[in-house]
Amino acid sequence: MDLESNRSLIVAALGRIPAGDRAALQTVYRLTSAKLFGVCLRILGERAEAEDVLQEVYVTVWRKAADFDARRASPMTWLIALARNRSIDRLRATRMNRNMTPIEGATEVADSVATADDALESVQEHARLHGCLEGLASHERSALRGAFFDGNTYDDLAKRMSVPLGTMKSWIRRAMIKLKACLEQ
Amino acid sequence: MSDTLDHSGLPEDELLAAELALGVLEGAERTTAEQRVMRDRGFARLVEEWEQRLAPWAAEVREVPPPPQVWDRIAGALPAQTARTGLWRSLGFWRGTSFAAGALAAACLAGLLYLGTFAPPQSLIATIEGSGNRHFVATVDPARGTVAVVPAAFSADATRVPELWLIPPDGRPRAVGLLRADQTVVLAMPPELAALAKNNAVLAVSLEPPGGSTTGLPTGPVIATGKLTSL
Repeated sequence: MDLESNRSLIVAALGRIPAGDRAALQTVYRLTSAKLFGVCLRILGERAEAEDVLQEVYVTVWRKAADFDARRASPMTWLIALARNRSIDRLRATRMNRNMTPIEGATEVADSVATADDALESVQEHARLHGCLEGLASHERSALRGAFFDGNTYDDLAKRMSVPLGTMKSWIRRAMIKLKACLEQ
Repeated sequence: MSDTLDHSGLPEDELLAAELALGVLEGAERTTAEQRVMRDRGFARLVEEWEQRLAPWAAEVREVPPPPQVWDRIAGALPAQTARTGLWRSLGFWRGTSFAAGALAAACLAGLLYLGTFAPPQSLIATIEGSGNRHFVATVDPARGTVAVVPAAFSADATRVPELWLIPPDGRPRAVGLLRADQTVVLAMPPELAALAKNNAVLAVSLEPPGGSTTGLPTGPVIATGKLTSL
């Protein structure tokens, strides 16, 4: 199935949920749950927790589908943000299983770019973000990675990279500023 | 928030939105920022923009199909939600209504019979829920000494059967009978049991070997409970 038809299927199904259409939620689940489960699992590191959070995510989709505005955001952006936020809330509440493996400033925490799946977001969008991330200093990129994929806090990242908290805040903020400028070019 | 990074060129709000979207905040900082999303449209928009910038990164996360029971649990959690959104579309609701209609008819009939003498005893209802799922809805008809149990989101277990228990304030479970995942079951209660089916008594469902518990007490896991309340 090609990217655009997948996206429009998800948008159409999300649009039917506020009327109470359970089959529509199932359609959204069928098309997106493997990605969202991957996201939850990556942040939480444990299947039982990730399953719980995934359930919360789709029950939230059921309740909040009316809030989704296809003119403003892509459905995957909305769903991924929801899955990440719920996972991070759970991680913060339990303080368990968070990845605290030391990050060496120069070493990349390898997340293979090759597994990028075309059905998610447009390939160009990912390529553009990837290009901009490549333009960051490697310590900045590593810090952003730890936050995005492992759900690390400022404090976690400072410990993982053995730098003072203030330095870490400064790295992340600077990285975000550069990222925004690059993406807007 | 004090900011020593004013050299950034980005407003503090924009940076806070970025931090929230990235997920590096914790504790009061995160809570405060989340609350601001709820009431400050402009700030919420900034957060959405950052989510949009970062989301394509998730393309690098490996897809992992969740196990099938996750969907079952989601589906099971929905009827409770439909009470606020799409009530009339929910199968569970229709099952509930068809029974409630029957109960209402019975109550009307009882009302007619007792008209001029005294009001019929009130029906009681319990939503039997466990791990976020509404498994069964039970309605006790004190006049008849029956309890009708409608399956809502209960999935059959291949090896075990659901058994209903009544737990009055003394805390000792009394066996009521076996339930079905696929149809409404009406169980007759002996008078001494019916007398215990009052407001705030608890109905519980355990999974038992076929034929039910032989010990008089639940032997398998209690998967769902619900308190009886007057209709």
